[in-house]
Amino acid sequence: MIDCPERQPTSDRNARPAGVLALVLMLLLLAGCASAPRLDDTTQQAVAPRVLLDDVPFHGQRDYQCGPASLAMTLQHDGVETDVDTLIPQVFTPGREGSVQPEMLATVRRHGRIPFVIEGRLDALLTELDAGHPVVVMQNLSLPAWPVWHYAVAIGYDLEAREMILHSGMEAQRVESFRPFDATWARSDRWAFVALSPGQLPATISPQAALQAIGDFEGVRGAEAALPAWEALSRRFPDHAMAHFALGNARHTAADLEGAISAFRDAVAADATLAPAWLNLGLALDSAERRDEALEALERAAALPGRWQERSHEALARVEGKSS
Amino acid sequence: MMKKICRFLSPLLIAALVLGSLPVAAAPSPAGGMITTQDALSAERAQSDRERIHTVLARDDVRDQLVAQGVDPAEVEARVAALSDAEAAQMADQLEELPAGASVVGALFAVFVILLVTDILGLTNVFPFTR
Repeated sequence: MIDCPERQPTSDRNARPAGVLALVLMLLLLAGCASAPRLDDTTQQAVAPRVLLDDVPFHGQRDYQCGPASLAMTLQHDGVETDVDTLIPQVFTPGREGSVQPEMLATVRRHGRIPFVIEGRLDALLTELDAGHPVVVMQNLSLPAWPVWHYAVAIGYDLEAREMILHSGMEAQRVESFRPFDATWARSDRWAFVALSPGQLPATISPQAALQAIGDFEGVRGAEAALPAWEALSRRFPDHAMAHFALGNARHTAADLEGAISAFRDAVAADATLAPAWLNLGLALDSAERRDEALEALERAAALPGRWQERSHEALARVEGKSS
Repeated sequence: MMKKICRFLSPLLIAALVLGSLPVAAAPSPAGGMITTQDALSAERAQSDRERIHTVLARDDVRDQLVAQGVDPAEVEARVAALSDAEAAQMADQLEELPAGASVVGALFAVFVILLVTDILGLTNVFPFTR
């Protein structure tokens, strides 16, 4: 072999060491970016030091099909009778050789469970596991330039060892250290969701996110299917007017008029400026033939400026016309 | 002769088109004039009527795209129906770019070496044997 470096012009002699130096610097930079994830002190105290949901069934993925496999594991854990073969045609997209996030959520709805996308923080993930909810996480196992997108089901963790436990790919109860797990999870913007029966809520959800998730479920499955979820939400967030409003609507659809009236009353008690709640309260009272109370509520609705004012005036005129 | 047929046909066609576009233009009015939760939520997000029409059209678009991507046409209807409006709009706009969880490496050798190094550093997790 010819010793190459000696035959090169002097100006190029330092090229290789310089390249190596650049590579090392770049890797150090990358490593610096992906610092070890930190947990809030409050989370560390609030959750159990070690959790393993060992009743989550495992299904090894076949080619490209980590999406259907992950769904099968979480849905079966929640008592849904389904399997990977049923789920593949429901969620897998052959042209993309994978499953996209919106359809992962949509498929959960088809099986009568509510998908809640949780906050993208390790704290939220561990809190859900501590509450007994397996969490489907999306990871990019590779670098952003050559993504390898992957769904796995987080089923446990060990705070002291700083490790996650996941059903992932072909491996049941795979152990991943917090740092590489968080680095791969961060590349999906820490996307994760839990699939829960109506009536169950995530341990960490914000009222706004929960309203959206349950509202989307209601749009697909109907008000009666969503009713237990609205009941749970208004119990969890008694000060949130929209939760009571949504509960009132669902009860009204389920032909529970008195229940609807009481929920709308809770809504306007929480926020007296919520015009749709006053309007629906008035219409529900009118259906219950309580004219005076109905007129009072509709007047409140019509007095509030905004998008619903015109409709409130119409409703008020209609009810006034009936009673005279 | 042609002109006569046209004279009859065009008012009919115009009427059919106008009627056909009505369900989109007129917002669905629920029984008893109650405001639905979905309406109230989208009003909170200040969604305009134009956006609402966009989401209606988005579902048709997603249907076509899924069939083009090889999804069984018998399944497409149920899959689209289970999407929320926002998800349908997202799918219609960027089905090609959305990350699709699959977890199979189809990378070149150079990429392989880089990923091997980053795997060992704990930045990535492509190869099971690096643990």
